Amino acid sequence: MAFRVLIVDDSPVMRTFIRRTIVLSGMEGAEFLEASDGREALNLLREQWVDVVLTDINMPSMDGEQLVRCLEADDLLKSVPVVIVSTDSTESRMRQMLALGARGYVKKPFLPETLRGELERVLGGAYAG
Amino acid sequence: MPDNEWDEILVAAAEEVLETMFFTGVYGPAEAGASLAGQHITARLTFEGTPSGTLTLSISEPAGRTLAANFLASEEDEPLPAAQLGSVVCELANMICGSLLSRVTSEDHFRLSSPEPLADDAAYPPSQPNQSLLVGEGLGDRTIDLWLTLEHHAT
Repeated sequence: MAFRVLIVDDSPVMRTFIRRTIVLSGMEGAEFLEASDGREALNLLREQWVDVVLTDINMPSMDGEQLVRCLEADDLLKSVPVVIVSTDSTESRMRQMLALGARGYVKKPFLPETLRGELERVLGGAYAG
Repeated sequence: MPDNEWDEILVAAAEEVLETMFFTGVYGPAEAGASLAGQHITARLTFEGTPSGTLTLSISEPAGRTLAANFLASEEDEPLPAAQLGSVVCELANMICGSLLSRVTSEDHFRLSSPEPLADDAAYPPSQPNQSLLVGEGLGDRTIDLWLTLEHHAT
């Protein structure tokens, strides 16, 4: 099944790592878009459909928290699932981001199977490996 | 929290990040400051919260190249541009710092600055590193030095 992932992270090497991890984890059909902060991600999302957004929290210009708030406030974009991928794995931050509307939370560092499992869960039954 | 507990948590954080994201292990302590003896790459970031402070990471260039090749799934003998190598080292510092702070605080948010590569040797902390780790089996120059400076200790 083809699916389109938007990776939002201010670190180009981390975007590369996530992209390769998804490919090497065996998930077939992934197409990738990339953005370096929340603002760039929002602009992309207004032009192109994506199936899932993977976003860091700490980023310049517009961070991951602001991005989730903007998506939740946008009638057209609120249905796009967002998974946080962050070094901040404190319980309070995870609870906060999930309460704001994020569908999942992956803590860095993460194993490939963790990211894959979270993507499969968020993408739903249509993607069954 | 006593300083030795911070040091233990710092090692555990480094081990977790290196094993999970860089597919290498920590093979034990290295000679303190050994990474600075030859070509090396250094990154620093600050963090705010409880506690606040600074983490500085210096890695010998051979170790940096090995880890960057693992992280990016590229060939080790295929030279990476210096900027990309520096970015990987910055990301390593970022994740070690995040893992460290997530182990000592569960309710307080923390905020990490963007890690910055350091080019000036004079910018190193004046003290000995908190931890010096050997990250390549049997190769003495594959070391990582970590300096942790805290402004406020967590209670």
